[in-house]
Amino acid sequence: MRPSLAVLSGRSAWKGPFFVAFPNLKEALTNNVAIKTQARNCTILPNFVGIRFQVHNGKDYLPVLVTQDMVGHKLGEFAHTKKRFIYRTTKNK
Amino acid sequence: MVHVLGIQLPDRELARYALTHIYGVGHKTAHRICARLLIHDTCRVADLSPGQISSLAAFLSSPSTAPAVPRFPLALPRFQPPSPSTPMREIQTKVAHLIKGRNAAPPPSKVHPLPRGGRDPLPSLKIETDLRREVRENIAHQRMIGSYVGKRHAMGLPVRGQNTQSNASTARKLNRIDRFG
Repeated sequence: MRPSLAVLSGRSAWKGPFFVAFPNLKEALTNNVAIKTQARNCTILPNFVGIRFQVHNGKDYLPVLVTQDMVGHKLGEFAHTKKRFIYRTTKNK
Repeated sequence: MVHVLGIQLPDRELARYALTHIYGVGHKTAHRICARLLIHDTCRVADLSPGQISSLAAFLSSPSTAPAVPRFPLALPRFQPPSPSTPMREIQTKVAHLIKGRNAAPPPSKVHPLPRGGRDPLPSLKIETDLRREVRENIAHQRMIGSYVGKRHAMGLPVRGQNTQSNASTARKLNRIDRFG
């Protein structure tokens, strides 16, 4: 077992976490504007805390407010892609 | 039956297999624990000495605070064993002299390097209630931040993309917010 950072969970430590550099990060934090993104595989960094994101789930953009506990997870984990099946008798309802 | 921390270890089983009855101890860890307590590979639970059982219980109750394993220096490559015809008394006096010398002077501080696997994993061992609590805390954390993993746990469904049309019985059994096993 090699020592590696727990947050990387299998990724080489020398690479660091994968993330997307959002150009409007500062603006989003000051003006409280949501960042609309499709980068679901972007790791949530400590400087993302408090920013609102609109994360694509394949169909539309779901709001995600980043909190301190989410650091180290991916953005996509918070925009669910599957809808629970509900049986409807008629299509037009 | 031997009871260690309230867990029954069956008498007839090999010690290294019996140890896997403990939640959080698999074959690898059991083997390491046996090596640490000087329990040989074919030792059955019934053959364990009371001292070994008490040291096992002492180690498992707090692996992090257990004293480090003493490391004895090995014989040097230039060591030559005495010939078989040497009288026993001569060897005994020699050994007694050596032990006397060692007691007088502290043993050489040169520590043998650890094997290539890195640090000894045993001090960070977590078993039984501690481990169960950790698992439950991790699930509660996922649920609290509202991630997909937490959601799947709440639904009692597989977390890592397995099929759910059939099977998924392990997930139905285990995946809970308040996981028991």
